[in-house]
Amino acid sequence: MRATAGYGAGAGPTDLLGRPVEDADAELLEVYARLRHLAGRDDLPPCVTANVRHALGFVGVAVTDLGLVFEHLLDRGT
Amino acid sequence: MADQPYWNPRTETMAREELEALQLAKLRRVVAYAGERSPHYRAALAKAGVGPQDLSTMADLRRLPFTTRQEWMEGQDLRPPYGTLPVAGPEAAIRLHTTSGTTGRTPLRALDSRKDWAWAADMWCYGMWAMGVRPHDLAYLAFGYGSFIGFWGLHYGLEKLGALVVPGGAQTTESRVRQIVEFGATVVATTPTYALRLAQCSRDLGLDLPGSAVRTVVLSGEPAGSIPETKRLIEDQWGARAYDTAGMTEIATIFMFECLHQPGGAHIIEDHVLEEVVDPVTDEPVPYGEMGERVVTSFGRSMIPLIRYRTSDLVVKVPASRCSCGRTFDIYEGGVLGRADDMRLVRGTNVYPRAVESIVRARPEIDEFQVRIVTEGIRDEIYLRCELHDQAARAAEWPAIQAWLADALAGAHEGLRFRVELAEPGSLPRFELKAKRLVDLRAASRPLTLEVAP
Repeated sequence: MRATAGYGAGAGPTDLLGRPVEDADAELLEVYARLRHLAGRDDLPPCVTANVRHALGFVGVAVTDLGLVFEHLLDRGT
Repeated sequence: MADQPYWNPRTETMAREELEALQLAKLRRVVAYAGERSPHYRAALAKAGVGPQDLSTMADLRRLPFTTRQEWMEGQDLRPPYGTLPVAGPEAAIRLHTTSGTTGRTPLRALDSRKDWAWAADMWCYGMWAMGVRPHDLAYLAFGYGSFIGFWGLHYGLEKLGALVVPGGAQTTESRVRQIVEFGATVVATTPTYALRLAQCSRDLGLDLPGSAVRTVVLSGEPAGSIPETKRLIEDQWGARAYDTAGMTEIATIFMFECLHQPGGAHIIEDHVLEEVVDPVTDEPVPYGEMGERVVTSFGRSMIPLIRYRTSDLVVKVPASRCSCGRTFDIYEGGVLGRADDMRLVRGTNVYPRAVESIVRARPEIDEFQVRIVTEGIRDEIYLRCELHDQAARAAEWPAIQAWLADALAGAHEGLRFRVELAEPGSLPRFELKAKRLVDLRAASRPLTLEVAP
């Protein structure tokens, strides 16, 4: 399943309805993408992995609330 | 932050057509996810011959099969202990909750991941924010903190929101009331039944609850939170405003909340749950303003996707325009009106616990009550047994209260005669969680059974 915001014909990412996202949304999506990446790594200490996965859960809810991304994060330990 | 009226203004005020487009986008993804990963849905969707590619409009929702509680229970028997609905095993979860068991059926076991739990708390935040709860509040949760999900999600939601939370578990009612007053709680969460018990206890202790800092009472767990007579009683006894919510273990959290405008119902959190109202017999959707059975599709729980789940809750959906708060989320008028399987047939007349409670709660002299249905000879009889506040002192008032109740109950039930009796003080059961005040002792009780194809 598609993990993150899509990209339309324009330059930036789009939300779940295909509309361009606002600046603050784009910033939030960057945070989400970074956490998502870190949560999938298996070479980090437990204190990092556990906290990152927890943080990813919260940010995942925020991007879903805003209609930017909708995905289930079990594969990222979240 | 605190002066913003909505927790999530983007979706709470979204145009209806956009909201439906968002729901459809999420529905397709949930169906794809469930069909790939949940053993139950892999089989159910294949059997129905439907997948995400078949969902072009919201009308296609009806092509998806219903999910029933019976199937959930059977799945647990087939693949114990968690069943065939979860997409992963307990190693992927961080929480396990069960249903309350008040229906007497096998409790359901529900797993939540990190993200699921963050989401469950967020749904409570939608509701708390709409009730005016803010980070400066001190919230007291008068709740047992057991395996039943109850107010667990609210606890985490309040923490997320930034409020100060007091977990009021494992204490006596007396201790809870004292803490509520002494800590200066501004928000208290409890079931409607227990709200009344806490208020009674405060009077017994000589504490001034209406004069305390409490300004908001968050109700959940029973339909009584939306019964006007019960709510009025709670508001009078607490000197605070009471707001209804409703949730269910099966989706991990609440699906509706009452906003500050209190339009006589509760807003549905429609960007996270898709709520249908159907005729329980024909399965056909019912229009706005007509009573039917709630059917829920949840978008939020990763561990257990739930598609078109039949809840047995009876509701009436009305448009969001009924409320002036600005939200575009539709409303369940009067909240959850009862459960289809709560209805009893007594000498040809339908008796709903909610209807009885709305009459009983119009009499503030009544402390606790119970409805008992028995067979005497060949005839069914229905009894209402009551305990009064300060019963000994009120003995002289009872005949008038008794006559009033008998008249009101008969008037609301096609002339069905209730035998109204006074019970010994302290003899009726008290409840902290879901009250069960209707006791059907007939040899073969006859609830309304829903014929739902598995």
